[in-house]
Formats: sequence, structure tokens, C-alpha cells
Amino acid sequence: MTANTPRDLVETKVHRRGFLFGAAGLAGAGVLVAACGSDDNDEAGTDGGGDNDGDASGDAAIATFAAGLEVLAVNTYKGALDAATAGKLGAVPPAVATFVTTAMKQHQEHLDAWNGAVTKGGGDAVTEPDPTLAPVVAEKFGKVTDVGGAARLALELEEIAAATYLNALASIKDKETRKLAASIQSIDAKHAAILHFVLAEYPVPDVFAKTELAAKPA
Amino acid sequence: MTIDDRAMAEVLEASQDIHSEGMKAAKAVLPQLEEIREDRRGKGVNLAEIHRYNQGRRSLLRTLGLGGGNFAGKAALGGLGGVVTALIATPAHADEALDIQILQTASSIEVLAIATYEAALGLPFIKGGNKVVKAFAETTMSQHNEHKEAFQAQTEKLGGQKQTAPNPKFVPVVEQATPGLTDALAVATLAETLETVATQTYLENIGLLDDTETVTLMGSVMGVETQHAATLRAVKALLMGGAPQLIALDASVAAKLPAAAGSVAFPLAFEPTENAADPSTGALS
Repeated sequence: MTANTPRDLVETKVHRRGFLFGAAGLAGAGVLVAACGSDDNDEAGTDGGGDNDGDASGDAAIATFAAGLEVLAVNTYKGALDAATAGKLGAVPPAVATFVTTAMKQHQEHLDAWNGAVTKGGGDAVTEPDPTLAPVVAEKFGKVTDVGGAARLALELEEIAAATYLNALASIKDKETRKLAASIQSIDAKHAAILHFVLAEYPVPDVFAKTELAAKPA
Repeated sequence: MTIDDRAMAEVLEASQDIHSEGMKAAKAVLPQLEEIREDRRGKGVNLAEIHRYNQGRRSLLRTLGLGGGNFAGKAALGGLGGVVTALIATPAHADEALDIQILQTASSIEVLAIATYEAALGLPFIKGGNKVVKAFAETTMSQHNEHKEAFQAQTEKLGGQKQTAPNPKFVPVVEQATPGLTDALAVATLAETLETVATQTYLENIGLLDDTETVTLMGSVMGVETQHAATLRAVKALLMGGAPQLIALDASVAAKLPAAAGSVAFPLAFEPTENAADPSTGALS
């Protein structure tokens, strides 16, 4: 089945189950998110910062999964840039060229942030894209022949990323990690708004940001 | 069944000791509790104060040997001492109070945004100006209204009173800008300021909230306000660049957009929170 919409992109390859890996998911990751480490775990914290009373393994799994998504975004923008440079996408409007370089750089910063959390907890930095989504995106990217197609694929990725972060917020136990996810969600939503505009679509299509497109670990 | 008088006397003595120690400790703590109560009366939740209080409470429980699993058995022995220690053992309910404050402040920001867009739509250069700008103002006002209603409903769900007034901290910002709203650029600038405040406030809130349902609601609304802000940034750039004709939902526009249009909406890789409103600014006392 070919994925034609963001929903297809997620549903064709990704099992629709809870985002949170839980302890089982961590087994392969073996990492802990930065900023964890409670000095008193007999009561729920109320200090408003780094709430460490929860299961840190879920946060670590989310950080690892998020890093894989960011690798995929960086690679996809890099692929678009290379294709544009090689003249494979036809004429590239200046605004689109700026968008691609800016968004790629920002996703690299997001990746660095997630990898910072992963390595601080003792894990290995993520350098490979999410293995479930990567082949789906590659297939779609192979069909891109112009700037409009590239912008459409970028929009799908940004919407999936924003939805994934939104979906994860309530599951993230450490509040600083939760803020990091929300901060990146905000930037990805901004990317999506401008891509909508470039594609002659209304830039704020939803009254409430949705989680339907959220990617979930296989 | 026979009663072992000696064992009973030992239990009673132990109980009296706990009672005595509990009363001494409670007397020492009561002034602090009164001070906290007075400090908090009519004010916002002071998280650091509550944290210190809870730490002091835990320390007291440890001193009394009532920490962890010992608590239930020993408190059951202690009569009044048990009541006091049970009272002390109850944590301050700051979490719900703060969550309600956050929701009230969020509602107040939405109220202000709605009023601002409503006023803007009455201005002749918006009402009769660029159709996309007008449609954006109308749609955005409607979206803010739904956000307000969602925040108000969630406030009541958590046991709080819904906020219906605009945020007092930012009302002066709008009032100060109002005389200068003589063109679309000025309106877009003010609207972008409010959208940025909303976005950054909700982002900051996500790091403070305890109720997970509210976290998701806050993130969902933040995801829309940030798109409002991004759109307004792009609109501002086009107006400042003398290209209002490019504010259009037209497939031919993309090729004509200046390079800066591809990055002006997101100058930073991470959303900052420097313009976030404090949770107490729109809270009801």
C-alpha cells in the first residue's frame, strides 16, 4: 500500500499503540534521560522543576525515539537540498530554499538536544533514522519530482513530528524533558504553518493541534 | 482472652511518649504553618515555600519515626498524637491549586486575545482590507474563543472557578498599542505579541502542570497559537517589505516570495519562554 497522506504515512508502517515504550522498550535502549535523579522519592514532588517521581525509563525511550525522528527529518531535508542543487526539482523559489536550509539546521539542533539527553543518561547517540518510518519516507521521496512535492512531503513530516511530540507530553515524567518536547513541537508546528502557506493552504487549519498523526514505536 | 497488664502498660507508655513528642513537634511547626497560610492568603502559589514545607514535614516524620511503613501502625497507637501526625503527614495540595491558576491565567490570555481581534475586525483597513488578513482575524478570533472555553471547562473540572476577565498584566499592552493601530502592520504586530505571549506561557505551563489531561490540552492549544504567531510574523515581513499582494493563498505566490519568508517565522530552533506570563497573573484569588 502506498502512503498518500500523513495519516497513511503513519498507519501503513507504524502500529497504533501507546507512545510510551515502558520498561520493555527501554531494555534495548539502556539509557536514562538527563536531569533525572530524585533526592526523595517517597512523596510526589511539588517543586515545579524536574519531577522525578515517575518511571524514567519511559522518558529515555521517548528521547531515543524522538532522536530517530529528528535524524529522519534532517536526512530528508538534506536529500531535498541535494536534489534541488542537482536540478532535479526544477526551479526552486528563494523562500523554499531558505526554508529547507533553516528547517534542516533546526532539526539538527533538535537531534543534538535529544542525543544530549540520551548520552547524558549513559546511552549511545542516535545516528540512524527511525527504522519504521524511514523506508516509507524514502519511498515517497523517490516519487518527488518538483518543489511542490518536496514541500508536501516536508509538511507531512513536520505534522507527524509535531503530533508525536504533543502525544508524548502527558507521558513524559521529567518536566524539563517535557518542556523540551513542547518547545520542539512549537517549532515544528511553525514549520508546518509556513509550508501550508507555501502550498497555498490556510496556515492554521486546526482549532486544536491533533495527535492523530503521532508516530508510535513499532 | 486475657489482658497482659504489663504489655498493656508498655503500649500505653509508648503511646504517651509519641503523643508528647508529637505535640512538641507540632507546636514547633504550627507557627510555620500559620505563616505559610498568611503568606498564601490571596496570593499565588509559592512552589518553593511549599517544597520547603513538605521537606520539613518529611523531616519531622522521620524524627518521630513515622516515615514510610512505620506510620500507619504508630499513628494508630497514638490517639491525639496520631491525629496530629496524620495531619502533618498530609501533603500540601499545591499541585491542583497551581494547575487551576495556570488554567485561569490561560483563560485570561484568551479573553484578551478575543477582545483584541474583535476590535481589530472593526477597523476599516482590516474590515475592508486584504481578504486573507481579514479571514485570518475572523478565524483566529473564533479559535481563541474555543481555546478559552476549553480552558474554562478544564478549570471547573479541576474544581476551580472559571476566569472570564482579560489578563491584567497584558491589558495595558493592548491599551498602549491601541492609539497606534492605524494600519495592518500595527495590528499584525500587536496580534503577534499576544500570540507569542500565549505560546510561551503555555509552553512554560507544560513544564509546571501536574494534571496530565491539562498538559495535553495546553500543548494542543500551544500548537495552534504558535502557528498564529508564525503566520503573523510572515505577514508582518511581507507588509514591511512592501509586498502585501503576496499575502494570498495562491499557488503562484510561492515563487514570488522573498527568501526571508522561508525563515522569518522561526528565528530560533527552540521556542523561548522569556515572554511567558506568570501563572498567578490571571488567577482568581
